[in-house]
Amino acid sequence: MGQWLIDLYSSYESTLGYIGLNSLFALSVYATLCCGQLALGNAGFAAVGAYAAALVTMHAHGPFSLALFAGALAPAILSVPLGLPVLRLKGVFLAIATLGFGEVVRISLVNWDYVNGAQGIVAIPKLTSLWLIYLVLAAAIFVLYRLRGSKWGFALEAIREDEPAARTLGIATHRYKLAMLVLAAVLSGTAGALEAHFTFMVAPSGFTFLRAVDMLVFAVVGGTLTCFGPVLGAAFLTLLPELLREVSPLVGLEPGPLRLLANGLILLAIILFLPEGLASLPQRLVARREGGSG
Amino acid sequence: MGQQVLNGIFLGSIYALFALGYTLVFGVLDMLNLAHAAVFMLSAFVALTLVLRLHLGIAFALPLAVLSAALFGLILERVAFRPLRDRTDSNVAGLISSLAMATVFEAVALEVFGPNIARFPIGTLPDRQIAVLGGVVSVLKLGIIALALAIFLALTFLVRRTRLGRDLRAVAESPRAARIVGVDVDRVVAAAFAISSALGGAAGVLFALAFNAVSPDMGRSVELKGLSVIIVGGMGSMPGAVVAGFLLGVTEVFVVAYLGASWRDALSFAGLFVILVLRPRGLFGAASLREA
Amino acid sequence: MRPARNIALAAAASAVLVSSTARAETVVRIGAALSMTGPAAVYGVTQKAGILAAVDEVNRSGSLPGVKLEAVIDDDASTKEQGIALFQRFIHRDKVAVIIGPTLSNTATAADPLAQAARVPVVAVSNTAPKGITDIGDCIFRVSLTEAQVITPALARMQSRLGFKKAGILYGNDDAYTQAGYNVMRAALDEAKIAVVGTQTFAKPDQDYSAQLTALKSLSPDILMVSALAENAAGIVVQARQLGWKVPIWGGNGFNSPAFIKIAGPAAEGVYAGTAWNKSSTEQANQAFLKAMAARGVDPDQFCAQAYTGVLVVAEAVRLAGMKTGRDDIRAGLARVKDLETPLGRFTFEPNRDGTHAPALQEVKDGKFTIVP
Repeated sequence: MGQWLIDLYSSYESTLGYIGLNSLFALSVYATLCCGQLALGNAGFAAVGAYAAALVTMHAHGPFSLALFAGALAPAILSVPLGLPVLRLKGVFLAIATLGFGEVVRISLVNWDYVNGAQGIVAIPKLTSLWLIYLVLAAAIFVLYRLRGSKWGFALEAIREDEPAARTLGIATHRYKLAMLVLAAVLSGTAGALEAHFTFMVAPSGFTFLRAVDMLVFAVVGGTLTCFGPVLGAAFLTLLPELLREVSPLVGLEPGPLRLLANGLILLAIILFLPEGLASLPQRLVARREGGSG
Repeated sequence: MGQQVLNGIFLGSIYALFALGYTLVFGVLDMLNLAHAAVFMLSAFVALTLVLRLHLGIAFALPLAVLSAALFGLILERVAFRPLRDRTDSNVAGLISSLAMATVFEAVALEVFGPNIARFPIGTLPDRQIAVLGGVVSVLKLGIIALALAIFLALTFLVRRTRLGRDLRAVAESPRAARIVGVDVDRVVAAAFAISSALGGAAGVLFALAFNAVSPDMGRSVELKGLSVIIVGGMGSMPGAVVAGFLLGVTEVFVVAYLGASWRDALSFAGLFVILVLRPRGLFGAASLREA
Repeated sequence: MRPARNIALAAAASAVLVSSTARAETVVRIGAALSMTGPAAVYGVTQKAGILAAVDEVNRSGSLPGVKLEAVIDDDASTKEQGIALFQRFIHRDKVAVIIGPTLSNTATAADPLAQAARVPVVAVSNTAPKGITDIGDCIFRVSLTEAQVITPALARMQSRLGFKKAGILYGNDDAYTQAGYNVMRAALDEAKIAVVGTQTFAKPDQDYSAQLTALKSLSPDILMVSALAENAAGIVVQARQLGWKVPIWGGNGFNSPAFIKIAGPAAEGVYAGTAWNKSSTEQANQAFLKAMAARGVDPDQFCAQAYTGVLVVAEAVRLAGMKTGRDDIRAGLARVKDLETPLGRFTFEPNRDGTHAPALQEVKDGKFTIVP
C-alpha cells in the first residue's frame, strides 16, 4: 500500500506541481490585465528569474532561499526600464512590444556563453517541493485578492475601464501600471525560479513566446474578473492533457494533436461564448435559469 | 557580396509576402490575425499533398494551394472574427480567437501529417543555377522572387484601380461610414481575409519549395518576424510591409554573415523596439490602404 | 459435472506449472529512451529496430540461462524535457534495471544525472560528445565512439587523401553534440596546423544556410567541415552545392544516417564522414548482425549497429555478474566488459567507461555509404 502511494505520488507530482506553477504564471498575466494592459513578456521575466535562481544555486552555491529571492528580484528590477517606455503604448502595440522583450531575453541567453547558451544549465538539484509551490501561490492569491476591494483596486479598475477618464480623475495611471508590471515580473520570476529547481534544468528553449501565450490562455480561459479565474484556468488546462492521454486511444487521435485541438477549441468556445472565462460559468447558469423561468 | 544581397532579396520577398497579408487584415479590421502563420503552414502541406498524392506538377499545385489558403481565410473570418466585430475589446478578443484557430490548424496538421519534416520528392523542383549579379541563384529562387514581385504589382492594382480596392479602403477608414454609403462590409471584410490568407499561403508554399521542408511548426520562424515587419513598416501600410520585408531580409543576411547566426533574430526585435519607442506608427506612418 | 471438474482441475494444475516455470526466469528490463520524433527521429527509428532485434536474438540464443531480456521503448522527442520525464518514468514507474540511450548527447546531459543519482546504469549508444556524458558518474557507460575518437585519427588520412590546407567550419551551436563536434574538429585542425579560415553557426530549426555558406565560400577554404544532425546536414549540403561549392565536405557523426543521403539526394555524393561501424567487415559478429537485420527486413545503419551492440554489452554484463540482474550487479558487470566480439568490432570499456574499438571512414558513393579502405 505504501509503495503504491509512493508510485502514485511520483507519477502525479509533476502534474500537481505544474498546476501550482502555471497558476502563478497565469496570475502574472492577470496582474497586468487587471488594469487593462495586455503584457506578453512574462516568459522573459520567468526566464530571468529562473536563470538568476539557477546561477545562485549552481555557480554561487547559495542557499535555496537566496535563489528564490534572486528569482523574484532580478526580473522586478528589469521590468522598470522596460515598463517606462513601453507602458505608454496601447492595446496590441503593448502586447507586441512586451512579446519582443521576451524574445530579446531569450536570444540574449542563447548567445551568453556563461550560461551555456542554447544548451542551458542542467543537473539543478530538485529543491522545490509541492507545499512550497502552493505556499507561494496562496501568498500571491492573498495579495491579489486584498488588492481588489482596496483603493488600489478601484484605481486599477478605473484604468481598465477607461484610462483617459481615470487620468482626468487624478489617478496616477503610469505609476499603477508600472507597479502591476513589477508585480507580474515578481510572480513569473518566482515561478520560474521554482520551476528551475523542480525540473532539474533551465534552457532558453523553455521560454519562447509560446510560453507567454500559454500563460495568457490560462488566464483567459479561467476568467480575468477575479484572481481565482486564472488559477482555475491553469488547473483546468494543466489537468486536461492528462485526461486526454487516457481518452486519446478511444477517440483515435494521437495525444499530442488531441491536446492541441482541445486547447484550441476550448479557447475558441470561451472567447466566443463565455468571454469572462470558466469562473463566470456558475453566474451565467444561475442568470439563465432565473431569466428562463420568467 | 552580390551573392549575399541576392540571398537577402530572396528571404525578403518571403517576408514581404507574409507581412502583406498580416498588414492587410490589420488595416481593414484593426485586429491582429495570429492564425496567419498557421495558414502559411497549412498551404505548404496542401501543396505537398497535391504533389505527393495526386501527382500534380508544381505549376498546378501552387495556385491550388493558394486558393485553399484563401478558403482557410474565409473560414477564419467567419468563425473567429465576425462574431467579435461589435465587441468593445474586439482587437484583444480577435487576437485570442485567432490564436485559438491557429492552435486548431496546427493540431490538424500534426494529426494528419505527423510532427516530422516532410519533403517534396527529389525532382519535383527545378535544380538549375544561373549566374546573376556576381553571384549564383537557383532558377527556383529567381522564380519565387519574380512571382512575389508580380503579386505585389497585382495587389497594388487591385487596391488602387478596382472597386473592391476602393471598398477595402473605405472600410479601413470607417466601417460605419462605408456601410452608410452602401458598401457591403461583411463581403469586403471576407474578401480582405481571403486575399490576406492567400498571400500568407503563397509565402508558405514558396518557402516550402525553396527549402524543401514542410512541418507543422514551420510558421514559427516567420510569425514573429512578420510582426516586426508590419510594425516597422507601419501597421496597415502595404508599401510599408513590402519595404520593411525586404529591408529585414537583406539586413538579416549580413547580420548572420558578420555577427553570427545566433544574433539574427535579435535584429528584427531590435528594430521592433526602436520603432515602437521612437516612432510607433512605423516607417510609412499610420497610413492605411489609401496610400497603397 | 464430473468431466467439467476434471477439466477444471487439469487447467488449474497446468496454470500452476506454467506460472512456476515462468517464475524461474528473471527478467532484465531495459528502458530504451530513443528519439522517435523531432530532429533526431531519423536515428531513433533504426536504433529501435536494432534493440528489438538484439533482445530477440539474445533471448533465443540461450546465452543467458534463466534470464530474459525485455525492452521498454519510449520517445524522448529529441528534447531534454521529455528525456528527463522519460528517465523518471523508467526509473520509478517501470523500474528498469538499465537504460539504453538517450539518442542525443544534448538530452543525455540533462537526463543522465537523474539515473546517476538513482544508481541506475545507463548505456549510451549514440552519444558522441566527448565531455559531459561518462564524466557524469560511474553509472554512465558509452558504446558509441566519441567524435574525438573518430575525427582526430581520421584527419591525417583525410589530409593525405585530399590534400587540403584551409578549412571552413559550419556547426550547430544549440546542441551539445554538434557543439562538441566543432570543438573536436577545431582542436584537430589546430594541432595539424591547418588554417581555419572561417567559422559559422546555425540552429537546429533553421532551414536557410545560404548566408553562412556564402560568407564561408568567400574565404575560399579547400574543405568544408560540418557538425550537424542529419536533417540540417542535408539542407547544408544541398544549399552548398546550389551556391556553387565544389570542395569536399566532411561531416561528423550526425551524417552517418541513410536519411541524410535520402534527403540530400544527389548533393550528398562525395561527402565524407568518420564512422564507428565498418559495414563491410567480415568478422563473424558483424555478419551475424547483418543476417539478423536482413531477416527482419531492415537495412541497418551505424546507429542500428551501435544500439544492437548496446544490448549485447548489457547481456555480457549480466553474464559477468553471474546472472544477477539487479541495477548494481549490471553496473559492476558493465565495468568488466572486455574484448567482446560485436558488430562494431572487438569492444572494451576503458576505465573512464568510454567504449573503444577501431573506427572507420566512409564516403557517399552512388547514393550509399561506402567504406574508404
